[in-house]
Amino acid sequence: MDRNKLERRLRTSGALLLAGLGVELVTLFWSHSTAFLLFIFLGGILIVLGMMIFLLALLAAGEATTPDDSGKAADRTPEVRAV
Amino acid sequence: MVTWTPLLVATIVISMVLVALIMFRPAITIGKGGKILAFVSLFIFPVLSGGGGISEHMERSKRTEFCLSCHTMADHGKSLRVDDPSFLAAAHYQNNRVPRDQACFTCHTDYTMFGNYKAKLRGLRHVYVQYLGKVPDKIELYSPYNNRECLHCHQGARSFEEGATHNAEPRRLQQIKANNLSCNSAGCHETVHGIDKLSEAKFWNEVKEDGSK
Repeated sequence: MDRNKLERRLRTSGALLLAGLGVELVTLFWSHSTAFLLFIFLGGILIVLGMMIFLLALLAAGEATTPDDSGKAADRTPEVRAV
Repeated sequence: MVTWTPLLVATIVISMVLVALIMFRPAITIGKGGKILAFVSLFIFPVLSGGGGISEHMERSKRTEFCLSCHTMADHGKSLRVDDPSFLAAAHYQNNRVPRDQACFTCHTDYTMFGNYKAKLRGLRHVYVQYLGKVPDKIELYSPYNNRECLHCHQGARSFEEGATHNAEPRRLQQIKANNLSCNSAGCHETVHGIDKLSEAKFWNEVKEDGSK
């Protein structure tokens, strides 16, 4: 995954997490049944989405940096290449 | 009593600062340290904050003010201040037989979020009805009140075990303990909240900790 795409995903993840954490912070100062609902259904969803986007970005970045099999085989048997 | 709210608020604020750092400076994740920071900021801290938040809200939902925050419960809240000892909820609340800040939960421990999964589903349905449906004119329990909730505190108490009425008949006490004879039976402790009698009731003005009313 190129660097720009990763950074874009990190920003998106960060934005969602900031929004979710902000909702959570506000609901902590409001003792009402609605606060609980907002926390779960708005804050919770934003936080989970943000974490998922981050984890997906990690996975995609990990796949992009994995070397292919031909490269690995060549590296393991340098004496073959020398011949 | 130790309160974890300031710690939770601090955790959330730190999480927000770290998330903002990654969000506005994503280039710091190039290095190994930056990658670890990103993982801590975008995963570990949000998990801690979310888990702490859930715990805090679950504790708050046990509080009397939470239950009474829905206007549907206004009459039930009023019933706690009726100046009549035959009103069971009022007698318990006013004499600190249940903690005042958790009065509802203490007696209704298996209700909505704090019961089994059916109770939790009912709780969600209540929320739906509260905001999108029509609240019924009369609110009733889904099933008869279980003596277990009363016996949680009263079993073993002298006034219960040796009370004249409870021992008036040979097997009455065993029937009460086995939930075969309801504590709320007619002629016994039948007036609990007494919602239909509130219009004629007198009310007690609570004496606050500083002595004011």
